[in-house]
Amino acid sequence: MKFFGAFVASLAALGLFAAAAADDEAELFVQGILDQAEPHLAAATETERFDGIADLVDEHVDMRRVSRFVLGQYARKLSDAQKAAYDPLFRQYATQVYQNVLSEYAGETLKVTGSVDRSERDIIVNSKIANPKPGSSFADLVVHWRVYRNRDGALTVVDAGADNVWLALEQRATFTSVIANNGGPPVGIDALIADLHEKTGK
Amino acid sequence: MRFGLIKLGAVTAFAAVFSSTCANAQLNDIEDTDAIVADADAVSAEEGAAVDPWEGFNRKMFGINNAIDGVLLVPAAQLYRAVTFKKQRKGIRNFLDNLKTPVILINDLLQGEFKRAGDTASRFVINTTVGFGGMGDPAERIGIPQHGEDFGQTLAVWGVDSGPYMILPVFGPSTLRDGIGAGVGAATDPAFWLRTDAASLFRYSRAGVTGVALREPLIEPLEEIKANSLDHYASFRSFYLQSRKREIANGRTNFDDLPDIGDFDEFDDLE
Repeated sequence: MKFFGAFVASLAALGLFAAAAADDEAELFVQGILDQAEPHLAAATETERFDGIADLVDEHVDMRRVSRFVLGQYARKLSDAQKAAYDPLFRQYATQVYQNVLSEYAGETLKVTGSVDRSERDIIVNSKIANPKPGSSFADLVVHWRVYRNRDGALTVVDAGADNVWLALEQRATFTSVIANNGGPPVGIDALIADLHEKTGK
Repeated sequence: MRFGLIKLGAVTAFAAVFSSTCANAQLNDIEDTDAIVADADAVSAEEGAAVDPWEGFNRKMFGINNAIDGVLLVPAAQLYRAVTFKKQRKGIRNFLDNLKTPVILINDLLQGEFKRAGDTASRFVINTTVGFGGMGDPAERIGIPQHGEDFGQTLAVWGVDSGPYMILPVFGPSTLRDGIGAGVGAATDPAFWLRTDAASLFRYSRAGVTGVALREPLIEPLEEIKANSLDHYASFRSFYLQSRKREIANGRTNFDDLPDIGDFDEFDDLE
């Protein structure tokens, strides 16, 4: 009986520990976005779907923060003119990435399954496809959302990934590679801007 | 860059395309997303320059491999798709996966993953018998999903650092450690040591069929990555290193080593 009591107590302790490592507010925040996304993902045409996703990205993704992160060690090296060219191009490019990535889930419903806080202000929220078809490649896929809490407590999305592969990390790898392989700043940054121009069709 | 999250695993799968000894084509062997594991791998997936000192050589080899891929493998995979049904292709992939089971089992055991070793052994018995020699995957349906292991992953679990990223001729993306692991894997293949005509025929046929069968489902995903990336080589490297890291951790995730996105000085003006 004593053993049983200790067992229950340790389970409770584990439960408490798990609760401490999760962030309910961030989970609710992401579930809210996923609920908003659901009708867009169910949209009949790609145009409707893309427009809906673009609106959500505009509302919830902290593009300025991500745009600096993906520049890696070059984040401070942009001239004012380069910033003026880069910022809107990055926004457009990253929005396109979200549109294409999220379109993979057209007609599906995503549900938050839990969260892990790296710090009070940096939280990973995990989600999965609800009711995937048997044998579907979605069945075990975990879609992650990286949520950032501003100093004023407001929540934004700063990255998304699946099965531990992250979009912003890939963007940082390619952006810094383009800059470095084109002679570093400032010409390398111009090369990056030119590439973004090309990929966004602007 | 028009790729889907679901497709990100395609890059790691591609690494296994040519290699009949690598068993890392399984994209979805996630176990417990909340479990934290020790950082099994010194590779920082996002720091390109630090992990890729041989970038010049690697870029050349990447170009050569892609040329071979485009001229030989992709047309073969397209032909294969044209003359088979989806269900048949699934059966062939299952059969090839089943052939790899002994190597996966050895590595499960070497890593001390006895539960996974049990799964692997059960899968082999069930799929070889009830699954008609491995063409079917009834084990999956009764709740024993497939997972991959190879000697590179075993070395990582034993604490061997990945070493530099490298593109192997024909075999594709790897690291120094995983390349050595692939060599060990090849040497554990009984057919490797049998120098008879029949064994050679078997080896070449298996390699050819494996390459084509695994490349076929990746035709579109890899094409999209190539068409839409700002730097095909760097995208590929990032995806490969990120997903390889997760494979080594056996699907358990560790968010501790992600780089900070918010806490840099240069972001102060954003708040």
